[in-house]
Amino acid sequence: MDQLLQQLINALSLGGIYAMLALGLAIVFSIVGLINFAHGDIMTFGGYGIFLSMVFGFPPVAALCIGLGAAVVMALAMERTAFRVMRGADVISLLITSFAVSEILKVLFQNGISARPVPISFPASWSGSYQIGGMTIGVAPTASILVTILSLGCLTFVLRRLAIGMAMRAAAEDFDMLRMLGVRANRVVAAAFAISGLLAGVAAVIWTAQRGSVDPMMGFFPVLKAFIATVLGGLGSLGGAVLGGFVIGTLEVLTQAFLPDALAPYRDAIVLSAVIAVLLVRPDGLLPARSGARS
Amino acid sequence: MSDAALHAHPARLRAANWIRTLAALAVLIGTVVILTVVFGRTGERIALLMCVNVAAVVALAVFCGNTGIVSFGHGAFMALGAYASGILTMPAGLQRSALPELPGWMAGYELTLLGALPVVLLVGLGFALLTGSAVSRLVGASAAISTLGLLIIVHSIAISAREITRGSQTFYGVPRITDLAFVLAAAFLFVIIARLYRESRWGLFVRAVRDDEDAATALGISPRRARLVAWTLSGTLATLAGALYGHSLGAFSPASFYLGLVFAHVVMMIVGGMNSVGGAVVGVVAVTILQNTVRNLEGGITLGGITLPEVFGLTTVSLGIAILLVIWLRPQGLVGGFELGPGAGARLLTRITGRAPQTPAPRPVTTETLHARGLSRSFAGVKAVTDVSFDVPAGRITGLIGPNGAGKSTLVNLITCQYTADSGTAEIDGVQLTGLPRHRIIDNRVARSFQNLRLFSGLTAFENVLVAALAAGSDRKTANAIALRELDAFDLGSIAAMRADNLPYGARKRLEIARALAQDPAILLLDEPAAGMNPTETDDLADRLIRISEDRNIGILLIDHDLRFVNRLCSHIVVMNRGAKIAEGDPEEVRADPQVIEAYIGRGRVARAADAPPPKDQALAP
Repeated sequence: MDQLLQQLINALSLGGIYAMLALGLAIVFSIVGLINFAHGDIMTFGGYGIFLSMVFGFPPVAALCIGLGAAVVMALAMERTAFRVMRGADVISLLITSFAVSEILKVLFQNGISARPVPISFPASWSGSYQIGGMTIGVAPTASILVTILSLGCLTFVLRRLAIGMAMRAAAEDFDMLRMLGVRANRVVAAAFAISGLLAGVAAVIWTAQRGSVDPMMGFFPVLKAFIATVLGGLGSLGGAVLGGFVIGTLEVLTQAFLPDALAPYRDAIVLSAVIAVLLVRPDGLLPARSGARS
Repeated sequence: MSDAALHAHPARLRAANWIRTLAALAVLIGTVVILTVVFGRTGERIALLMCVNVAAVVALAVFCGNTGIVSFGHGAFMALGAYASGILTMPAGLQRSALPELPGWMAGYELTLLGALPVVLLVGLGFALLTGSAVSRLVGASAAISTLGLLIIVHSIAISAREITRGSQTFYGVPRITDLAFVLAAAFLFVIIARLYRESRWGLFVRAVRDDEDAATALGISPRRARLVAWTLSGTLATLAGALYGHSLGAFSPASFYLGLVFAHVVMMIVGGMNSVGGAVVGVVAVTILQNTVRNLEGGITLGGITLPEVFGLTTVSLGIAILLVIWLRPQGLVGGFELGPGAGARLLTRITGRAPQTPAPRPVTTETLHARGLSRSFAGVKAVTDVSFDVPAGRITGLIGPNGAGKSTLVNLITCQYTADSGTAEIDGVQLTGLPRHRIIDNRVARSFQNLRLFSGLTAFENVLVAALAAGSDRKTANAIALRELDAFDLGSIAAMRADNLPYGARKRLEIARALAQDPAILLLDEPAAGMNPTETDDLADRLIRISEDRNIGILLIDHDLRFVNRLCSHIVVMNRGAKIAEGDPEEVRADPQVIEAYIGRGRVARAADAPPPKDQALAP
């Protein structure tokens, strides 16, 4: 029972990271049709932001804020330089563009900072644990769950209550119509990228706080999982992305905890095969995005 | 174009296709010759890897180019091929030391390369069929991401299955038994297979699905099966290319086939032009030259007295920049959307003449009748179609009219199973259509056109019609003749070699009807065929439809807003409003029906019309 609860917390913590990354991908995809391969590099850049500000002697909390800012700046810069000229291009061209951007950024990280992991030392209290009713619970997973809930809550508020959020949801349904109504396309797209960057930054903060180092591939692997999560949830559907993220996080934690040792190395293969099996039954994902195509 | 030129079209197309294959091969052989002559041994090594890459990228393009779905999963096939061929050909002694825990049934074959390749082919075929059954169900970005999932799955298995692959360590001892002549021959073979497939029945089918899945399905093509064929051929070829790659490297690890390799191959394909085999070849050549030039710079060189520092990863950056420039400046790639070389309309081919083919007589239509019975469908509470029944018999043009939003197109979609009916049935001569998969409708000789143009934009006008005839089950020769017959009937002969998306609007509209007729239907459903046409074009279309209906005895259901057009053609008219049938009968009856007048003109006007009847002919003119 204890172990189950423990694993549940781990699952929520990991799933939360995937959910935020997947949500960032889904927001951008739903508006401009871009599956952003370079999303992981936004997260990595956030990590390096934390690392560099600690090197320059900022206190840890300030460093985390700088990391968040770095991720947002990177997302906006990417939109301005690489993707704005491609607006309206087909999904494949956009995908390949982001693929290329991602490869270039990774080389820049390797040459500019280091090809090896660089350590980030947070205060020891952050990696401690506390006891509730005889159970040992880590501070970091708890914080990550809280931060995830807070981020998703804020985002829901922005999307449902603020004008820019409503414009973004409208853009996801019909971008051309929204532009005809006089809403500035660039502002909506930039806001979408900024939000996706912020979510990637939050993921970077949680990830580095738990692992204590940054390397050029840091964001890449979680974002691969987030891709799968967006497809599992239904490409372009925001709720689906969050759901997909939590499902994949949970599957990973469960397979890690309960798979026999002989099969343990095949964890990724098993999780992904399970996802593909789901897609065979529901090719449009768990919560498909609505579309209004007519024949 | 004269009749003779039109009749020569299939022969010219065949000739053009072979010239295009030769053009791709010429680019390849030319580059290999230049590399070996100018750079000697180094050039030979570069040429060898280039030929392996041509094989791999052509294999990749067989799927991506024809389906329009970018695959990131072909690294998985290459890994499979490389490890399988490596294990099969490895000397037994070396195998015992390198792979001591290899399962017995895998060990000790010591095959030659030519002995191993058939086994590798079968392994690749099996794996492609297995994975294709999943991938072929998905489209667009979802499919691309799931191929990425496949790559991750295979990569993690390759790392985990230590006893077979040595895990993430280097897998060594693979005999380097490929020479330039062998890989060049292999690359040639791959190019020819890819070209043959692209122009074949299944190649045309899958390209039609790529351009418009709904329209292709309505023609009787199963999109899943078409994609499965493409994936299976592509995966099998990629597995073989992987074996060649493995034997060229001699030692490799799972990372050799992961995102780095996949990225390089996708770049090569996109840079050259993803939609053609010639593009794949040109892309590999261009990127190979770029890579090798940059690789020399990577080690740091002295340029005009300034020593450039060593930059790690410069090749990756230059690949990234190359792909960005190509996508920004030439989105279709260096070669463009078409194959390298002339099209069937090229002047070069005007000397090829064709004999007038035996124009195949359309399959006879006798008394087939389409019955719609009580069809209903609602969307989220909105009743789009309620309990509509009528007949479309052979030999008659039946009109279906009604104001916008009356449910006319929905009705056609219900009959052709584009939507599932909530209740009611459509049947033809006792065979129920309702409940059939969409691509089985044409088996019962019911064809349709679409309200919004749905041509296969990447195919020529001729190929658009050809694909329809092939999908209806004709063999290639008959299909060619049928395509010529329909192009001729709709006066499209002069533009047979043009791409559908370059045609003027009126021609596109006619082409869509020609495409439907190439399927030899008994019942043809035309959804607003005259929409957007000018009066001359409309009259011309009316003449052609009347002739076809009389000559072939086809039953036509004609949906249109243009009442003059409908009145001229139809001897029987069904009127719908707000999802329900409100009147049915011959044009005079329908025109006099007060409900119809009300639906079209409104209640107030009806009351006034009763006081002072307007001239008869203009009563319902739009």
